[in-house]
Amino acid sequence: MGLVASRGGKQKKGNVTSEQEEEEQPLQAVLVADSFNRRFFPISKDQPRALLPLGNVAMIDYTLEFLTSTGVQETFVFCCWMSNKIKDHLLKSKWCRPTSPNVVHIITSDLYRSLGDVLRDVDAKNLVRNDFILVYGDVVSNIDVSQALQEHRHRRKVDKNISVMTMVFKESSPGHKSRCEEDDVIVAMDSKSKRVLHYQKTQGLKKLQFPMNIFQHGSDEFEIRHDLLDCHISICSPQVAELFTDNFDYQTRNDFVRGILVNEEILGNQIHLYVTQDGYGARVSNLQMYDSVSSDMVRRWVYPLTPEANFTDQQGQGCTHSRHNVYRGAEVSLGHGSQMEENVLIGRDTSIGANCHISNSVIGNNCTIGDNVVLDRAHMWNNVHISSNVEIHQSVVCDGAVVKEAVRLNKQCVLAYNVVIGPNLSLPEGTVVSMHHPEEEEEDDDDEFLSDDQEVGHSKDKTRQKAFNPAEVGPEGKGYIWKASMNDTEDEELAQCLWGLVLNPDPESDSESEASEESQDRSRSVSPEIDDVNAFQLEVLGTLQRGLEENIVCDNLVLEINSLKYAYNITLKEVMQILTRVVLEYPFQQQGTQLTTLQYTGSLLPLLKTWSPVFKNYIKRAQDHLDCLSAVEELFLEQDTHQTAMVKVLMKMYQLEILEEEAILKWFSTGATNDKSRQLRKNQGLQKFIQWLKEAEDESSEEGE
Amino acid sequence: MELQAVLMAAGGGSRMMDLTYNTPKPLLPVGNKPLIWYPLNLLERVGFEEVIVITTKEVQKMISTDPKVKLDVKMKLDLVCIQEDADMGTADALRHIQQKVKTDVLVVSCDLITDAALHEVVDLFRAHNATLSMLMSKAHEFTETVPGQKGKKKTGEQRDFVGVDGTGKRLLFMANEADLDEGVVIRKSIMRKHPRMHIKTGLVDAHLYCLKKSVVDFLADNKSISSIRGELVPYLVRKQFSKSTNSPKVIDETHQNLKKNDSNVNLEIQISSRDEELLHLTQERSCWNDHRGDMSDAYHGGRLRCYVHIMDEGICYRVNTLAAYIEANRLAPKLFDEPAVHPSAVVSERCLIGADSIIGASCQISDKTSIKRSTIGVSTTVREKVKVTNSIIMHGVTIEEGCNIQGSVICSNAVIGRGADIKYCLVGSAQRIEPDALPFETLLRPPCLRSTLTPTSTHRSTHTQCLFKQLNRNNTCLC
Repeated sequence: MGLVASRGGKQKKGNVTSEQEEEEQPLQAVLVADSFNRRFFPISKDQPRALLPLGNVAMIDYTLEFLTSTGVQETFVFCCWMSNKIKDHLLKSKWCRPTSPNVVHIITSDLYRSLGDVLRDVDAKNLVRNDFILVYGDVVSNIDVSQALQEHRHRRKVDKNISVMTMVFKESSPGHKSRCEEDDVIVAMDSKSKRVLHYQKTQGLKKLQFPMNIFQHGSDEFEIRHDLLDCHISICSPQVAELFTDNFDYQTRNDFVRGILVNEEILGNQIHLYVTQDGYGARVSNLQMYDSVSSDMVRRWVYPLTPEANFTDQQGQGCTHSRHNVYRGAEVSLGHGSQMEENVLIGRDTSIGANCHISNSVIGNNCTIGDNVVLDRAHMWNNVHISSNVEIHQSVVCDGAVVKEAVRLNKQCVLAYNVVIGPNLSLPEGTVVSMHHPEEEEEDDDDEFLSDDQEVGHSKDKTRQKAFNPAEVGPEGKGYIWKASMNDTEDEELAQCLWGLVLNPDPESDSESEASEESQDRSRSVSPEIDDVNAFQLEVLGTLQRGLEENIVCDNLVLEINSLKYAYNITLKEVMQILTRVVLEYPFQQQGTQLTTLQYTGSLLPLLKTWSPVFKNYIKRAQDHLDCLSAVEELFLEQDTHQTAMVKVLMKMYQLEILEEEAILKWFSTGATNDKSRQLRKNQGLQKFIQWLKEAEDESSEEGE
Repeated sequence: MELQAVLMAAGGGSRMMDLTYNTPKPLLPVGNKPLIWYPLNLLERVGFEEVIVITTKEVQKMISTDPKVKLDVKMKLDLVCIQEDADMGTADALRHIQQKVKTDVLVVSCDLITDAALHEVVDLFRAHNATLSMLMSKAHEFTETVPGQKGKKKTGEQRDFVGVDGTGKRLLFMANEADLDEGVVIRKSIMRKHPRMHIKTGLVDAHLYCLKKSVVDFLADNKSISSIRGELVPYLVRKQFSKSTNSPKVIDETHQNLKKNDSNVNLEIQISSRDEELLHLTQERSCWNDHRGDMSDAYHGGRLRCYVHIMDEGICYRVNTLAAYIEANRLAPKLFDEPAVHPSAVVSERCLIGADSIIGASCQISDKTSIKRSTIGVSTTVREKVKVTNSIIMHGVTIEEGCNIQGSVICSNAVIGRGADIKYCLVGSAQRIEPDALPFETLLRPPCLRSTLTPTSTHRSTHTQCLFKQLNRNNTCLC
């Protein structure tokens, strides 16, 4: 991590000139019109996320309207994936008219891979002169940030540029439907100065730990808040861009916040927060959020950004608003006996047949809907054709899709662009149908960077050749069932599910985390055999060998392994798997493979003890425990003659507190994916050990509670 | 009777041994009243008619015999003695009187001096049908110079971390810094129920607790808990969120288990009271809820609840250190409405007594003396041309002519010789300071404590040395 040193001069120069100009300079904003992930695949294969319609208006328009209404006069829109489409959209929009109060500059590059890249480019191009607002192109908000901006400027004036960022949060208690479960954060702050002391995502955590040093700042009142919804709006000082340049490993805002908080004593930078109680702000980060933001929109929580306001100022976009939040565009025809119950938005030139029931739904322009159709929480975009006797529940139907007679879409289905479904079919819950074939996708994806940004046009020909499966999409259907690609090891934190995590009403149950961990387990088994990994494994072996011979302290071993990790570009997860493997194979490595089980355990157990600090350094989160366990399992599946030693190894690791009993139990109960591993779990010794653990846990939980 | 008051007055005052060597802590004079009077008065003011006072034999004897210790209260005092050397904690003491406890209890410590509105604490207890409600206050900085203490503040003091919910009333977390090696750890389920937690560190615990009777019964069964503050309160705070107390089913089961084998030690706390079912019914039928944001029942179905009232302003001191003792003396006169000069005191007309000073009964104050911001105890004699500022003079002290006493504490029955110049000193009880001695920032401890006597400032060593010599001549063993 490169630290700031050369920056001093630059900053000083800025200070001298800024004093008076500060008030006069126009407020600037950086809008990142790319998500840098593929959560919206396959939808975002055809349309970038920022242009997806929400309430029949592209999401980026909400973001720009929000920026303009808070007084932003100059916005830099950074696009990468499908930048041309975004550019076209913006050039046609009111933002590029000469009368626009907010001057929009569009900056495109195929090289942006993360928020970090964008901000480094901001710094390189020297675009911002003063405090700026940083948002994503999928933020829907009506928060007036001028108050936050004022506080931010005041802090900067008083504290000489110590505060680099003010994050905007909205108060909303846990379990609220507009809270994104993946974005669930816990923030420790100083009550008086509103300074962020600790910032952590809580997903999958049971206990929250706050290091003592955050309480040592002389203040005697702190707040720990779990009732905050991250609006993904941040007010940044110009230093933010510089800090991203200096720390070239910062990719996301999360990296940045964590880096600032950890290095606070070295760099002296601070982050503050601003909490709004009545504004609305949310980022559409998955379809779950899309669903809730869209319904909030229709229910007028984002006032004045309402459907009938036509803030995009586009011809023919206007609609009327009547009671029960029913909005109708121009030329909408409604058949006899059809009901629009509540919270319904219907776009222009759409015709609806007879005896339909529509509630909590958004229907786009130029759609045709047949007779006896039931729509509940349906999001239909433009030019969709729905035949008669169709039922749709909580699903997204993209542009040009056709749903034939008597089709039923259960919850959380997605019909991507131009898909044809039916007739006479019921799609099970969570089905995603796309014109893109998932396998084609993976092939040309493997060596590509894992992001939205990649032209897939050339693969279309190949896709066409494969036949559609009538069992999946119906006799007249066109489209493939899409399965989220599981080879995405980079982004462990995000479950790669389109709908995101389901809101879990019961905080005590762990089913949600289990589900995501399982899926990650599966992804692990396809880890690619790259030379780097092998080389890394040899290096780790060498390091450990040397460590034993020269009696090197474990801390130094960790340092060495870490530097190897960077050198070979190995993920943390792989480090752990390889480390586990190397250690468990160490006796074979040293004394040949002819060892008896007894000899093997005899030489291995002391080693485990010696290296337990190394393990502990890498095995921290619950997921790490499971990964380690599956690495152990994998090895013993290979060394099937030594399976009896496994219990002893697990026992030792448990005693050394490398592994937690919870993790072991979870692994035992859920980890079995094939016959072999199921066989492994039938081992008597292992069964006994698990039994013992369970009893021990029962006792301890009784005491502990 | 809704609440029974219990006063804990058996503490030894281990943090201010210099003062409590001869006088037990409950009887230390503060504003010429024994310390124990303040909590008693507090209870009397809010209408208690009877108090159980847990104390030692020594205190009991002195209360009944010593004329100087006049407890000016009309309440019925039920004195319960415990053995001094048994090393009993406050929870032990509560267990000791379990037989006397018929209702919920209000436990007060004898060293509490406060003008807090007690009903605030009790109201929390009533309103939420709480298991525990307690009183805390913002910590005060002690401004006065303390005899024998050089630095203003002791560094490295361990802070208490107190976590309360958004309303500032519900007690969610409590731990001492010393126990937080691994940082503050909070379960996520607690944060889900109480998404906004304020963590406060600058608070003093007033050691005033409202406890359910069931807690006292629980103590009787659970002998390992010996201190209320140290063990019981943290236990109850933690227990609020444990599963077993929250699901009624488990409670029923433990109920049955208990009935089966009463001999077993009861580790579960029984919080259900006689009216519990009715209360539960009202809660079910009412639309009231203690929280917003989710649809779960009031209190999330939890039955054990701890509350705290945090005083923002007002006086709240625990007299357990020398610094607090001095501060309390300075503020005590504001707490009661009595003439500053006792009617029976003989005060010369040609002397100067500041409005912020108190003169005790049967004092003799002679001509040309000046007394400012000081407390003069009962039967003290102050001779001519004496100047007393910022000092506490206890009972029966004799101050000879021409003395100058500043910022000092003179314990009972000491004699200050003619012309002594005493600044920031603590003079132990029955000590005798020879004429013309000039101690400075010194502690004159009772004889048996001599080994701990250390001159606090090196550059004053000449004074101290000469003081030692004089004392030696008088055969008081001080080296």
